[in-house]
Amino acid sequence: MAAVKGAGLGRALLRLFAVQGSYNYERMLGLGVGVAEEPLLRDLKDGQYRPAVARGARFFNAHPYLIGLAVGAAARAEHDGTPPDQIERLREALCGPLGSLGDRLVWAGWLPFLSGLTLVAVALGAGLGAVAAFLIIYNIGHVTLRWWALRAGWTHGARVSTALHHPALHKATALLGPAMAFAVGVALPVAARFLAAPFPRWGQLGAVVTAGVAFLLLRWRGDRLSGLRVALGLAAVALVVGWIWP
Amino acid sequence: MGVDLVSLPQMMIARPIVAGAVTGAILGDVATGIKLGVMFELLQYDILPVGAVRYPEYGPATIAAVATAHAATGVLGLGLGALVGLVTALLGGVSINVLRRLNSGIVHAASATLESGDPRALMRLHVGGVLRDAIRAAIVTAFGLFLAWLARPLLAGPLSARDAIVLATAAVAAALAAGAAGTLRLVGKGPNLGWFAAGLGGGLLVAVWLR
Repeated sequence: MAAVKGAGLGRALLRLFAVQGSYNYERMLGLGVGVAEEPLLRDLKDGQYRPAVARGARFFNAHPYLIGLAVGAAARAEHDGTPPDQIERLREALCGPLGSLGDRLVWAGWLPFLSGLTLVAVALGAGLGAVAAFLIIYNIGHVTLRWWALRAGWTHGARVSTALHHPALHKATALLGPAMAFAVGVALPVAARFLAAPFPRWGQLGAVVTAGVAFLLLRWRGDRLSGLRVALGLAAVALVVGWIWP
Repeated sequence: MGVDLVSLPQMMIARPIVAGAVTGAILGDVATGIKLGVMFELLQYDILPVGAVRYPEYGPATIAAVATAHAATGVLGLGLGALVGLVTALLGGVSINVLRRLNSGIVHAASATLESGDPRALMRLHVGGVLRDAIRAAIVTAFGLFLAWLARPLLAGPLSARDAIVLATAAVAAALAAGAAGTLRLVGKGPNLGWFAAGLGGGLLVAVWLR
């Protein structure tokens, strides 16, 4: 198991970066999970390896950055001789919590927080430096999270729920929610000014009024409308207005 | 760049603010790249990529938008670039759904092989998915660049400066609305709403101060 821990964990981590590569509606991320788990299963005895690989590639869905937790935990459980039905139940039990935690931590926290700060920075003239800083800082958090998840899963095995209660995760989630809300809140008016600054006065006024109406539409019919549909609709209206305006 | 959205390595290289800035730098027009990057980044806030949700693809869209708008003075290229980008984003979203359905069929057909636990077959299926996504992303980007090539002559003739401003106004308004609505969905009605309001207030002060 020591050999697995070194090279195997490294290979599994690299493969985790492509965990969504074969995303499909049948097994969701299952194939990617199986591919990432496979290096950790190589020293299983004959008769154990192939069934473990097959189990690893079954249906799985969660946040891609935290999937390492399931990969490590399932592989460790296979080494510990945990019965197959328990490993299946472990995988099923991890889908929801890993998805929910990852969504709150990354998609609704870390990513929009840094994106909001970047929008403010570029609107204030920081340029390419701000974009480079966004990529570097974001990925420090991203890679750290992937590595931590894989190691924690491998360390705890079937008792991986312990890792999900790590205080740092809960503290980060609690901090990133308000930080994201504040950062994007600042970014919206600053970005609006940045984008509309070259418009004539009537264009600026038109942008504010149209944005207000479009916002209300999105809030009112958010179940049917998306930002893209509203944007395409407004662009079509703008083309017609431009055509009939004498 | 297109495979970064889902397949590999999800490092946000395809995020609009990054795609716009990089494309602008390549074309020698960083200012336009960043401007369109900011616009599409706001539209991106409307998306929460959870589960099997369908969403437009704004990375290649931003590349096409910048390719349309670059070197046009002022706001002339902004609206037309945004329009080309929006159509590209729509196609990108549809193509992701088509690819996932195609992958589903391939995986379903290989169920027996997968259940045998053959690691080579598993790897082959997975790598095939990555390659198909790379081809998909290349097609979407090529389509966007083709649209940009078709649209660029409009900047020199049929589209007047006023028409271009009306189009840019609509695009900026939609981006702001999508950004605000998407963020409010993330923020919810809990205590973070206060932080969002405080941020908006601070941002308004900064915007007024910059005038």
